[in-house]
Amino acid sequence: MPQLDLSKATKLRYLTFQWRESSVRWITMTLQTVKSRGIQHIDIYPMTIGEEVYPEWQDLDHLLVKLCTSHSIRPRVMYEAGRGGKILRDRVSSLLPELTRRGLVDLVEAGRQNSGGWV
Amino acid sequence: MPPLPPEILDSILEYLVDRPITLKTCCLISKLWVPRVQRHLFARVRLGTPRSPIKLWKKTFPDPSNSPAHHTRTLTIFGTSVITAADMGVSNWIHPFHNLIHLELSHVYRAPLFTLYGLSPTLRSLSLRCTPFDSGLICSFPLLEDLALVAAFSFIDVDRWNATLASPKLTGTLILEGRGEARSATRRLPVLSGGLHFSKISTKFCNEEAEPVTKLVSMCSKTLEKLTLFYHPSAFPSTPVTSQNLTIDCICRH
Repeated sequence: MPQLDLSKATKLRYLTFQWRESSVRWITMTLQTVKSRGIQHIDIYPMTIGEEVYPEWQDLDHLLVKLCTSHSIRPRVMYEAGRGGKILRDRVSSLLPELTRRGLVDLVEAGRQNSGGWV
Repeated sequence: MPPLPPEILDSILEYLVDRPITLKTCCLISKLWVPRVQRHLFARVRLGTPRSPIKLWKKTFPDPSNSPAHHTRTLTIFGTSVITAADMGVSNWIHPFHNLIHLELSHVYRAPLFTLYGLSPTLRSLSLRCTPFDSGLICSFPLLEDLALVAAFSFIDVDRWNATLASPKLTGTLILEGRGEARSATRRLPVLSGGLHFSKISTKFCNEEAEPVTKLVSMCSKTLEKLTLFYHPSAFPSTPVTSQNLTIDCICRH
């Protein structure tokens, strides 16, 4: 599990996470280190989703809700066009239930966004 | 028929920037059109690919002083045999590429990179893909903002870094791809005397590279606004290089 510390990046405004394994704990842990008050955008771009890490998604959900209320940000979940993307679109409400219930998350097809995503 | 006013012709050509075949046809309309069309036709040049070997460029433009290279803003050099020591000096084929904004070197691993030092004083972005990391090259472009390192590697005898050499401000985007690139970057980039001021960092990293990524973020902590993290749990292979992913559009788009 990578241990990233972004606490020194005090000017950080845009943050994008992309990954190729099931676990999302590293994202939660990294987001907990963010100290920038100017954070405006958080994009998450899962390449794979595993059912076995559902509790980890719940933790991420709680943290993102907290960040949304304290920093006025609106996270975006990016997905690929095609079957994998459809699965993600269908599952996002169960993976991020609180964020979805409050209407705080946008689902964006990769390549159609204005910013973010892997360059 | 009176000739079109130049500004009208320029407006028309602006619409044809992405249509090289149409631009080539425009060259046949009138000799008066040729210089204006060339500005667009040679804005992006790739050399060293099977379709555009350097031999063809030299044959087509034997006199460097009449070469359209001064129109080129984006130059991609692919392959190690493209540049040789004989390409040094003011009468070589590289020298006219002096108005570049973007330069990408891909698989130029045995070529003498010093022949490219200071090639274009206006250069803003440099991409090294499977090419030696050469801080002397980086320092020779005073306006350089963006840097992409994709499976770049070190050659002690190639990296002619000089501690007294002023380095560019590097205020744009840093892109790191390939195995161990984040770790290498924390070792290589601090030697640049001007410091790191990147506002955007995009990096792929694996488990072992979390610490170097944190270090890079700390190095740019006062300027970093946008961070893109692509985590792969284990060391990943380098991006396969094809003609499709050679471009540095990723830098230009930002």
